[in-house]
Amino acid sequence: MLIIDCPYCGPRDQSEFSNGGEAHVKRPDGSADIGDREWGEYVFIRANPKGIFYERWVHSHGCRKWFNCVRDTSTDEILKIYKIDEERPKLDSFKNNVKTPSGEPNLGSGNFTVKK
Amino acid sequence: MSDLNLTDNKFIQFHQKIGFKFDGVKYYGYKGDTIASALLRNNLKLIGRSFKYHRPRGFYTCGIEEPNALVQIISEYSEPNTRATIKKIYEGMEIESQNRWPSLETDIGSINNIFSPVFPAGFYYKTFMGPHKNFWKKIYEPIIRKAAGLGKPPKEFKAVSTHLHHNVDITIVGGGLNGLIAAKSLIDTKYSVLLIDFDDQLGGILNNSNKVLSVNNQTPMDWISETVKEIENSKNIKILKNTLVTTYNYINHLIAVEDKFVGSRPLKDKVNSTLHKIRTDQVILCNGHIERFLSFQNNDLPGIMLCSSFEKYMCRYGVIPSKETVVFSNNSNSESLVFSLIKKGFKPKAYIDSRSGENIEPDLFDLIRKNDIPLYTNSQIKGAYGNKKLQKILVEDSSGGVNEIKTDFLCLSGGINPDVHLFTQSKGLLDWDEKDLTYKPAQAFQPTITLGSASGQFDFNAINKEINEKLVIFGIKPVQIKLELNTSHKFKIEKLWEVLPQKQTIWSKSFIDLQNDVTTKDIRQAISEGFDRIEHLKRYTTNSMGTDQGKISSINALGIVSDLLDKKVNEVGTTIYRPPYAPLSFAAIAGRNSYEYYDPERKSPIHNWHITNGAVFEDVGQWKRPWYFPINKDETMDEAVQRESKNVRENAGVLDGSTLGKIEIKGKDALAFMNLIYTNSFSKMKPGTSRYALMLGEDGMVKDDGIICKISDEHFIATTTTGGAATVLGCMEEYAQTEWPNLNVYMNSITEQYATFNISGPKTRNIIEKVFPEVNFSNEAFPFMTFQFHEYEDTPIRILRASFTGEMGYEIYVPSNQAVKIWEKIISFGKEFGLMPYGTETMHLLRAEKGYIIVGQDTDGSITPLDLGLDWIIGKSKKDFLGKRSLIRSDTVRKDRKQLVGILPTNKNEKLEEGQHIILDKEIKTPTPMLGHITSCYQSPTLGHNFALAVIKNGQSLIGTKAFASTPELKTIEVEIVEPIFYDKENTKLAS
Ligand SMILES: [Zn+2]
Repeated sequence: MLIIDCPYCGPRDQSEFSNGGEAHVKRPDGSADIGDREWGEYVFIRANPKGIFYERWVHSHGCRKWFNCVRDTSTDEILKIYKIDEERPKLDSFKNNVKTPSGEPNLGSGNFTVKK
Repeated sequence: MSDLNLTDNKFIQFHQKIGFKFDGVKYYGYKGDTIASALLRNNLKLIGRSFKYHRPRGFYTCGIEEPNALVQIISEYSEPNTRATIKKIYEGMEIESQNRWPSLETDIGSINNIFSPVFPAGFYYKTFMGPHKNFWKKIYEPIIRKAAGLGKPPKEFKAVSTHLHHNVDITIVGGGLNGLIAAKSLIDTKYSVLLIDFDDQLGGILNNSNKVLSVNNQTPMDWISETVKEIENSKNIKILKNTLVTTYNYINHLIAVEDKFVGSRPLKDKVNSTLHKIRTDQVILCNGHIERFLSFQNNDLPGIMLCSSFEKYMCRYGVIPSKETVVFSNNSNSESLVFSLIKKGFKPKAYIDSRSGENIEPDLFDLIRKNDIPLYTNSQIKGAYGNKKLQKILVEDSSGGVNEIKTDFLCLSGGINPDVHLFTQSKGLLDWDEKDLTYKPAQAFQPTITLGSASGQFDFNAINKEINEKLVIFGIKPVQIKLELNTSHKFKIEKLWEVLPQKQTIWSKSFIDLQNDVTTKDIRQAISEGFDRIEHLKRYTTNSMGTDQGKISSINALGIVSDLLDKKVNEVGTTIYRPPYAPLSFAAIAGRNSYEYYDPERKSPIHNWHITNGAVFEDVGQWKRPWYFPINKDETMDEAVQRESKNVRENAGVLDGSTLGKIEIKGKDALAFMNLIYTNSFSKMKPGTSRYALMLGEDGMVKDDGIICKISDEHFIATTTTGGAATVLGCMEEYAQTEWPNLNVYMNSITEQYATFNISGPKTRNIIEKVFPEVNFSNEAFPFMTFQFHEYEDTPIRILRASFTGEMGYEIYVPSNQAVKIWEKIISFGKEFGLMPYGTETMHLLRAEKGYIIVGQDTDGSITPLDLGLDWIIGKSKKDFLGKRSLIRSDTVRKDRKQLVGILPTNKNEKLEEGQHIILDKEIKTPTPMLGHITSCYQSPTLGHNFALAVIKNGQSLIGTKAFASTPELKTIEVEIVEPIFYDKENTKLAS
């Protein structure tokens, strides 16, 4: 279970939080000028990468504040937590040297044993 | 009795006899005995039947790694699959063997053993595929379940457990030699430390074997008690005994379960077990090693046991399973057993070693020679034979000759493995050690340190060096422990996984997994069928998939597979050990989260009034709501609902609506915010008015509904559905914080601050005028969909004129602590006008007559406001609101979407049912195209017949046509598709 460092309350157990999916997905306004594709992508399409992921969390059993988080989904390491109005940290600002549990690369999928 | 001289055994209280029953027969053991040690003390060697073939099985080990000796404890807690090798006996304990019928000695299921040639690997997958798909559910599965059942679960969930959280700097798992040294070195440091051991005695290998003669010139026992005392007296170290670490999660999160009643009967209403949830900065794993077995013909016979386990029974429990045992080994771990046996005067009947004489430890070689023990070097056991117990073994000696040795016991050692389960659970990587022939921890993924044999460090002389190197990060003083040994300090082994039998018969088997009855033949067959990946092979053969996770055998399987595939073991890889390390009870996991504590019950402020007045309750989310109020015990629900409904239409009724969600929204930009959240436009609304409103998801589907009261542009109160309150508040908060942080708006749940009473019916006005005489309830002063604030005996109240029944009605909002007083007033003042309380079922009936939807019943997350015919509710001139753009997606403007309609049976005596499909044809053929289904259905007392709401394809244009409702009996009922409103279509009553 993760320990998540709420920017308002401090580090707490994951069980106090809810995940809110991908962060920095900009909501287009609801006007008819927005094309079906653009609106459809906003409503239905979210990234689910292996590796560095910008995601949202809410401290639902705490201060009920939303905030953003950068997590390596292949190691579960939380690289950065920042408030919702703070700027998105650049991808290359993370030197992520943690090996994945199975020793496979952080990006890409598959399992060495099966692949061989 | 197979007792050793117990006076020098400090673990067994031999003066304290304990009586217990095994399969109905009374036996005696001593305080400190496990079920296994007590039964062995009584010369009982058959303990259970195996899982698949029902073969007789005995105690194979003396610890948690035991694959065979699973028993059922008969008590009110009824513990199935309890390991007899670790469970301590208590006075009056009742134990039953498992997996046998009618008795352990005569087991009918053992016929599986004779038919075993038909139970090969993948048997279930291959056999139970046909001849018809129903065969599996109806015939095979029930039979297999009956035959394969291990223990019986308790009938009721009774055990009591609590959860305890720890936050410490260092957690040491295992209080053996290394764990004690590590803990001792951390005494009075700045670190808070937890030392956890599964046993009730710290000391590990020092207690369980004669390997170590002295520690720091003290006897091992003296050193342990002195060290434990020092640790106990320290301020920074806490010891948890009888506590098994079952799980090692990410971020050094450990889960451990503590048995609070070791060696005594669990007390009623006392905590039986504690689940420890531990967060720690550093974990030190000192959890030792596990001995492996070896595969040969019938290596499962009762009377075969691992060497170190035999020695543990002697040292720890003062019991000797056999006074004349044969020892078979391929490694140095057997040396200590031979030493212990000779020391106690029970020299082995023979010593067999697959290694050559010069590779056997010189001290062991001399010991055997000096005591005239028959020695077979370069030799192997070809097979073990006997009826329900070991009677003889066949030994192939170095010259290739086969010798028969009559014996009732055989001790076995196939090598040792570091206990890497927790290390791999923590995602640490293992590496194969070609010299010691085992997987060892190689790279930790978390802040994890392994010490001693848990790290694969099998050399007693290297203990100081390892501890000082690995614990230097804590800045402790270097330790200098002086050890004197009875055996060689190093571990040596030569490769041997399996001895092939002299003659292969279909009845004799070489097992590779004792708990799941997997044989080495199954492994060969799986590989020949192409299951050569270790994870596939594991699932196909079920090897190491038992509750023991193949602790004594899974590495052997890897060895055999690597030989068969001619690959290095490292290339074969290892399967993943998953938590928990050993089974833990659901009771321990559940902790206090059971029964009334599992999920809170929410009650209206006037809940007690409902009880007093005979309400029958319905669960709505966590809420208890009055379902209906029977006037006497003979009145059925149907009768009560018909009566209540009729009374609302003719006189008046009052409903406790306190469970509806209430959210207060305030702020300079509250109006803009509400316009974005709900479909409606609130801009032109006058303060003091209210509106029925819908909330959509971004996909355009109806998510919730409610009435929005506008107090001012900066202050709103919204109601939500009972079940949707938390979601709606969460949604508002999310958008306020993430999408529109520039809006100045705040929101708060006030659901529990206010009770809500909905009075409706033609006589409503007469009643509330009497209750609130100072309020003018005339149509002009208090029109439909307006609200006013008033005071009632100094209590501030809000009255809203709205209706969910179709009758003229008012909703009274009162502070919860004043609720009973006002409710009772309404009831008593209403009596003369025929006012009656009504429940949720009547509310549902009345609203359905009026065609009002229930979100979640008439909608299902795929229904838009347009599908409901609620176009008028959408603020089309608004630029934006949640889900607006989705309402013009190609899918949402489709003409053939499912739309809300009313349904009436053509024959008014017919009864419809919720969930029935609406179809076009009278005859049901396969496949029958379905138009949709009935979402709400009631018998109307006003109409005198059944009516329903339904969502059906293209429904709005089908109004006025005929269709059919299909019944589960495959009959059809002719129905008319009508407008979804059955009562007061002109809305004259609402504004009357
Ligand atoms: Zn917080």
